[in-house]
Amino acid sequence: MTQDAMIDEWYPVGLVSQLDSFGRKTALMGEPIDVASDADGNARVTANGRTLPVCVRYGHVWSSLGQPQKELFAIPEADQPGRRFVDVGVVRVRCSPLRAVENFLDIAHFPFVHTDILGSEPHTEVQNYKVEIREDADEVWATQVKFYQPQAARSASGGITTEYMYRVPAPTCSVLYKTCPPRPGEWDVITLFVQPLAEDLCDVWPWMALFDDESSMTDLIHFQQTIFLQDRSILENQIPRLLPLDPGMEIPTRADLTSVAYRRWLKRHGYTYGAQLVAQ
Amino acid sequence: MTRQNQDHLFERMTIRGAVDSASFVPWIRRHAAKLGLRQEIRHADAGRIEVEVAGPVELIDMLEMGCSLGPIDVWVETITRTPAAGGTGGQP
Repeated sequence: MTQDAMIDEWYPVGLVSQLDSFGRKTALMGEPIDVASDADGNARVTANGRTLPVCVRYGHVWSSLGQPQKELFAIPEADQPGRRFVDVGVVRVRCSPLRAVENFLDIAHFPFVHTDILGSEPHTEVQNYKVEIREDADEVWATQVKFYQPQAARSASGGITTEYMYRVPAPTCSVLYKTCPPRPGEWDVITLFVQPLAEDLCDVWPWMALFDDESSMTDLIHFQQTIFLQDRSILENQIPRLLPLDPGMEIPTRADLTSVAYRRWLKRHGYTYGAQLVAQ
Repeated sequence: MTRQNQDHLFERMTIRGAVDSASFVPWIRRHAAKLGLRQEIRHADAGRIEVEVAGPVELIDMLEMGCSLGPIDVWVETITRTPAAGGTGGQP
């Protein structure tokens, strides 16, 4: 394991749609950075005068303080005709970036935090599901996750049993594939791209690729922002603030399978920025 | 039959991986104690730890989940559980 393994990863640092020549001052892993467009309109990210690697994908500008060894992970649905791509915007959360991802992977909290939207009592049981670290892609996957939801999506008109697949392709990013109410057989894609500002502070940039021809863009954004704002109040009050990789303090249960797989994957790669290594 | 009643089990948990850490065995004992499980370490070397554990199945599941992460200086590759033969499952 190396302490700086996360340095060489790609991170979201802003929306492509908001790029301008004046630039956006922000931070990446504790270092001030500037995100702007150059004279040709291309994204440019700098840190103390040093030009950082840049790529533009999924509505966002991505950068890294190090030297990424591979391209940004693929989301094939981003190239699928008929989908609507939604830049949800940004939610600043005073929590570890790893905590933000872990919370996204946790469905057991739905009935209690997203009451009457993503879950409701007494439908609190998390049915057995499958979790694996896919060695070929080096990603965490949770599949066959089923849960009753009163309003699974903006386009849903009533309660349905929703099926989820979760994917963690990068330490601060997760992709959720979810039953698509208006188009059975397809998956809606909801992502969580997390910019680590510091070990205990992050900007969360949700992005979606949906089949929904009816909802207005404003309604789609509002729906998702409502969900993330509900999460924020929980995330900002979690103790410890960093994500424990030693489960001595937080004792995981069967419902936390995905979280445990995520933490094992972080540990194996030495992805420890925002993690607490020893239980306190 | 090792199932002591409908919910209580007596099992041998075999933990394999890079478990050559002096911290892991006491960590397992502490974690089991937090869960109220009776346990006894039967074997420990660089690549394998065997612990017999007795208690409610849900809590043994939780011990397995916890051990799969373990302390930061170990890497657990696999955990297998088999029914243990006889005994009372050690001390809580």
